Amino acid sequence: MKLTHYARIWLASARYSIIRAMMFRFDFLMWTLVEFFWMAVNILLIGVIYEHTSSIAGWTKYQMLLLVGTSMILQRLMMGLFWSNLFELGRNVRSGQFDFFLCQPGNPIFMVSTRKIDPDGLLNSFVAIAVVIYSAHQLGLHPGIIDIALYIVLLFISLVIHYSALLLIISATFWIIGTQGIEGGYFNLFEFSRLPKEALRGVASLIFVYGLPAVIASNVPANVLIHGFKPTYMLWLTVVAAAWFAIAVWCFKRGLRRYSSASS
Amino acid sequence: MIASLNKYWQSFLVGIQSNIVYRWNFFLRGLFSLTHLIVIYALWSAAYQGHSAIGGFSLGQTLTYFVVILTLQFFIGAFNEDYQVSEEIRNGLINQFLLKPINYFSYRFSIFLSARTVSGLLILIPVSIAYLFLRHDLALPHESWRLWLGLPALLMSALIQFTIAYCFGLLSFWFLEIQSFVILSYAIETLLGGQVFPLDLMPHLLYRISQYLPYFYQMYFPAAIFTGRIATPAEALSGLGIQACWVVALLSIATLLWRRGLRRHTAVGG
Repeated sequence: MKLTHYARIWLASARYSIIRAMMFRFDFLMWTLVEFFWMAVNILLIGVIYEHTSSIAGWTKYQMLLLVGTSMILQRLMMGLFWSNLFELGRNVRSGQFDFFLCQPGNPIFMVSTRKIDPDGLLNSFVAIAVVIYSAHQLGLHPGIIDIALYIVLLFISLVIHYSALLLIISATFWIIGTQGIEGGYFNLFEFSRLPKEALRGVASLIFVYGLPAVIASNVPANVLIHGFKPTYMLWLTVVAAAWFAIAVWCFKRGLRRYSSASS
Repeated sequence: MIASLNKYWQSFLVGIQSNIVYRWNFFLRGLFSLTHLIVIYALWSAAYQGHSAIGGFSLGQTLTYFVVILTLQFFIGAFNEDYQVSEEIRNGLINQFLLKPINYFSYRFSIFLSARTVSGLLILIPVSIAYLFLRHDLALPHESWRLWLGLPALLMSALIQFTIAYCFGLLSFWFLEIQSFVILSYAIETLLGGQVFPLDLMPHLLYRISQYLPYFYQMYFPAAIFTGRIATPAEALSGLGIQACWVVALLSIATLLWRRGLRRHTAVGG
């Protein structure tokens, strides 16, 4: 199947999701508010800590806010584009409704990942972008077009890391059926993305900076705006994203072989 | 009276059995919470660099506060009680309680207590692991009044936690889907209950306002008594007074919602 066909399928799913959201406007409004409030919680934490200190691991208040904003953009994009789909993947594997996706004419990973989008998550990504722009303004940063383009590219590479981590976590359902709540592991892992990598030391640094990809997924894009482009960082992020994506796809495919439906 | 209590004791025992089924779920959830503690440790250690105290408290005292908050979450926090009530209303399962001499609130509260007994005991395992690493950093005050005033505060906090969740569950009499209400409320409770940062670090005026909200008494208040963030018995006693008022207010709201909700409720089928 051609790439344009997949793009058309995704667009059709997006159109359906937006129409659905507009049908349940109150629900849409509430979820937008929910996501907005959770972002506000993270910003307030930064505000309160910096009332009492001027630096966290060498990061000033607005540098930290830019980092948190970057982390929020990634999580909002994940929520908007992939969360519901992958969350339901676990449930569908348990219930046997996953059969429905296997019957569709397309790559199973693509079909399970793009069935719907959540416009509330996508809408709130603009709020997160506003936080990044505000922080950059407060820091007196004037990134050029190339810096901004690199920031966007790095965000997409980081999004691959987020997606791969969630797919990997949910794929455990193929082996362990009783995994309700396992998707919470994604939030546990990416809680680290709101930390500067300098805040983690010793074994914690080895595990959460160099082992698991949570910290660099937000730190590398934020660093482009704050300190300028470093090719080695981009290479590091790209290699990590490629490796985690390959592992996630491999695990999903292995899991698929084990899948034997659940219906009678 | 004893016979009346006995039926809720029986439902507590049944609740213990059914919650033991989910022991791995609670245990894993507790284990995942250790990563949250690592984030807290990294963030606050970095914030304390160059400072011996923040808001008048040392790093050890702040870390102790977060460990106590984490432990209390598993002992008194409402997990999914709102969904359970909501599901029973939507599926018509509450109909059986309407026909029996059993108070639905008391029944649900006894199940809540059994669930927290199981999850509370299980969180002690990951907390013990955390203690091994943090034992030199933790600093609990030793005044005995903290225990005597902290325990009633803890019991009322559990009641407030449960009653708020119960009220949200009762919204199912009016709304088909309550998930967004619950998660919005959870975000507010997480922030104003002191789970994100100790509330005393907020600007003074905001802290004073928060003291009159029910969220203050959901988690922060008992944790602050136990960890020394509430300094004097007089301060704790005045807090207990406000907390008792909130317990009465929330129980009244719950009763009102239940009565009004039942008027809208339609039982179908046999």
